[in-house]
Amino acid sequence: MFVIIFCAGTGLFLSCNVCAQQDTIRLEPVIVRGFVPEKFMSGLKIQQIDSATLTQFQFQNISSLLSLYTPIAFKNYGPGQLNTASFRGTSASHAAVLWNGLNINSPSLGQTDFSTIPLIGFDKLSIQYGSAASVVGTDAVGGSILLESMSPSEGLNVSIGRQQESFNNHQTQVSARYGISRNDNWKFSGKTSAYDGRMKNHFPYSERRNYTLLGSETLQRGLVQDLFFESKNDQEISAHIWLTRNKLILTPNDLAGRELTLTEAYRTMLRYRIKDLTVRTAWVRDIIDFAKGDLTNPDHAVTDKVSNRVEKDFQWNFSQSGSNVQIKAGAEWTHYRAQIAGYEKALITENRGDFFILTRWQAKAHLLISANLRQALITGFNPPFTPSIGAEYQLFQKTDYSLKLRGSYSRSYRAPTLNERYWNELGNPDIRPETGWNKEIGLEQHYQLNASQFFTTSLTAYHNRIKDWTYWNPSKSYHVENLQQVLARGVELQMAWRNDFRLWKSGLNFGYALNKSVQEKAYDAYSSDIIGKQLVFVPIHSANLNAFLQYKNTRITGQVQSISKRFSTFDNSQFLNGYSLANLLAETTINWHKTSIRIRGQVNNIANTFYLNVRNNAMPGRSYALSMVLSYRSQASKRFLPK
Amino acid sequence: MKNQLTRLSAAVFVSLVVWSCNQSDPAPKGDFVSGVFVINEGNFSQNNGAISYLTREQSTAEADIFSKVNNTALKGGVQGYAFTGDKGLILIDNSAAGLDKIEFVNANTFTTEGSIGTPDIENPREIVTVGANKAYVSCWGANSNYDYKTGYVAVIDLATRKVTKKIDIASGPENLVYSNGKLFVGTVSYGGGKSLTVINTSTDEILKTIVLDDAVTPIGVDANGKLWAGAGLKALKINADTYVTETTLPIGSDASKSAGNFVFSSDLKTVFFILSYFDANYVSHGETYKFAITDSQVNVSTPVIKRVFSGLSVDPQQGLIYAAVTPSYAQAGYAIRYRADGSLVDSIKVSVAPTGFVFK
Repeated sequence: MFVIIFCAGTGLFLSCNVCAQQDTIRLEPVIVRGFVPEKFMSGLKIQQIDSATLTQFQFQNISSLLSLYTPIAFKNYGPGQLNTASFRGTSASHAAVLWNGLNINSPSLGQTDFSTIPLIGFDKLSIQYGSAASVVGTDAVGGSILLESMSPSEGLNVSIGRQQESFNNHQTQVSARYGISRNDNWKFSGKTSAYDGRMKNHFPYSERRNYTLLGSETLQRGLVQDLFFESKNDQEISAHIWLTRNKLILTPNDLAGRELTLTEAYRTMLRYRIKDLTVRTAWVRDIIDFAKGDLTNPDHAVTDKVSNRVEKDFQWNFSQSGSNVQIKAGAEWTHYRAQIAGYEKALITENRGDFFILTRWQAKAHLLISANLRQALITGFNPPFTPSIGAEYQLFQKTDYSLKLRGSYSRSYRAPTLNERYWNELGNPDIRPETGWNKEIGLEQHYQLNASQFFTTSLTAYHNRIKDWTYWNPSKSYHVENLQQVLARGVELQMAWRNDFRLWKSGLNFGYALNKSVQEKAYDAYSSDIIGKQLVFVPIHSANLNAFLQYKNTRITGQVQSISKRFSTFDNSQFLNGYSLANLLAETTINWHKTSIRIRGQVNNIANTFYLNVRNNAMPGRSYALSMVLSYRSQASKRFLPK
Repeated sequence: MKNQLTRLSAAVFVSLVVWSCNQSDPAPKGDFVSGVFVINEGNFSQNNGAISYLTREQSTAEADIFSKVNNTALKGGVQGYAFTGDKGLILIDNSAAGLDKIEFVNANTFTTEGSIGTPDIENPREIVTVGANKAYVSCWGANSNYDYKTGYVAVIDLATRKVTKKIDIASGPENLVYSNGKLFVGTVSYGGGKSLTVINTSTDEILKTIVLDDAVTPIGVDANGKLWAGAGLKALKINADTYVTETTLPIGSDASKSAGNFVFSSDLKTVFFILSYFDANYVSHGETYKFAITDSQVNVSTPVIKRVFSGLSVDPQQGLIYAAVTPSYAQAGYAIRYRADGSLVDSIKVSVAPTGFVFK
């Protein structure tokens, strides 16, 4: 009945002392049932970010991590400013961002500004590549980013951290994790975190190579509250609250021309599971305030989303063959209420429903098959029926070597955003949902060289054609249309090596991605100039390299990210030059009784590389950060070993 | 043989003389001594405006000459370009506050010679040069709440590269026409103003505010010294001395259309313009028409060119019509050349969102 995923967490390459503040240590069996969609994504590539890496980025936004560990390309407007993702050569609204399974892309914009998502907001990060719309619903066209809250272990763990950075920027975080077994029947645990970041961006220079660094100021604040109640009689209740506030002021010193973008989100969720039945209810409010010059009376946009979901798991075992089938059937109903200054009506409401059946069939010991079906229903129109099929086949499996072949063929869709449907004049209530077919095939290899060393390789090729791609068409005064058809094709290679020998640990991660993402359809006389051309701001080549060396509690890490030139016009007549950025981190942890202090120094952009953002403004050069995290832990965390 | 040698040395001598004469001649040098400069506005949020360049003989253009020469981009939308002697001025409008500027270049080499930024120049729109050392630039000012109350015309001393005066003009000052000691300043159609401002360029004071019944766009001064202006769906012939409207020519009667991009022919006897409208699908449609300064009515039934453009200019040297096409703000546009009768010459790829041409 239980599916157990062995999370090869930090333990493999971090000493226990260093990770004493972490939750996932060693090979820990995670009981996956009810909440987690990954198990029905067989055939797709899923990348888990280990908690040591999450800790290294704890004072940063998620985009910093993703750009160093994944081939996701970011379209950045400047430090602390709008930062949207292109996942496998798709657009900013083609990546589903799920918080505990709930899509938190802005309903009005259909995308996430990754500069407003700090890592402190969640405990576990996975990246799922390729279309998984049949499992997670709308927006999962290029991939999904899965943010999860994890139940802390028993005891009390309190930490306070501060990071001081160049340019008069600083971050402060306070966090408490607690777990208690009330009696034999109930276990209670929770996390409370608060964070406050002030990025003044007081650059000591106003220009780099004659390109201006645009002044900006970002104040980021948030509160996270997770509560878990787990019962021995197979019941779980969890409550999650994540409040965020991100206040960006562009050119703050220019009182007439400054620009305010205040992005707030109140995210709340309640989940209950009893045996095979899970229900979830969530309310999310997204607020965007925008003002220019006089900031006292901004344009105000509020969207409420109430989402209810129920799902039930079934399982059949076929004892003679050892095979089994798991099925998850469920439904989701979401109600939207939008009060946005630019809309035709003062209040827009919309209902969306989803029905899904997800299947995981362990056909043989070496063969796993997933088949998923989803039908979404939306006020006024229906997105296409969304099936998918995926399979994983173990080609070799020996103690020191394994090779797995996986493949997936799936349909994807993106429901139109509220702006696309309801924006005054420019929106189009009849706009069609985008739809695509994603095909991919991949190999996963694991090679255990000896007791202390292993080497893994993942190679994936994909082909994703998206039709009815919407476009705010500048040649029609920016009216939105289902205009384009895009074919995104590519190859992704990821390699990792680990060596843990006595007190020494070391590791290397390398990733390379080739992505050709081109417009296929002509729609006016001059579109022949853009047919077959690479989409804007999607690099054809990208690579990253991360390496660390650790002795006892002291670790140094190097990070390199390279991207090739990015075209900035659809006809590829203009481009931004490619660049490489390298960072260096050094950290050590000092333990004393139940307390520990972790000190980390970081140099970003060591080579002082010059590069431009999409506004054609310079990005900052070399910068420094120093952080200290003071922790108290009431008891050593419980370790779970696989049975 | 000797004869030949003498002849040869004579020829060498003569060419040397000619060459040295050439040397002492102060003829301008540079890659851009004569030709056509294309103003490309770029995509506002990308700050990727450029000036393209082509010679009158070529049918290909250099997309961004400033970047090519100076190894750095203009870093904003290009709103205008003008030159006098070897001094060139480029109006740059950046999407962020505080980064608008006038970039000074050598008009023949396009090497940068400095700039004037904010707060002197904010949201620059159009430029004219007057004499060898003066330029006027219409600016909207900060205009952060789009009420068009902060506009002005900046007076620039080209020798010191400084704004010497700001002449306040509300309602979004736009088109500028200089003639005979007077600068005529119009406003944008959506700025709420209905007057033409006349500035005395020797005192840089407002001489007169001519109130009309629509937002005014000065076009130029015709072969007879009369000022022409567009005002809504009308073309007006105005006496440049008395400011009396002498002729009012209605441009059709279809109020759903708007008239713009007025330009004079090279002989200053014909005005070309674009009459355009948006269809139900918000696609811009329209045609290019013309009228003679002596016409008693504007013929809007037979267009010169059955197309709408994002910019229109006439080369005063050759009389060819240069029309700009912007397929979208996310790809390069085209310059299309027509003869004065509307027959097509060629089409040349330029940069993003071409809006006008400057001839040298």
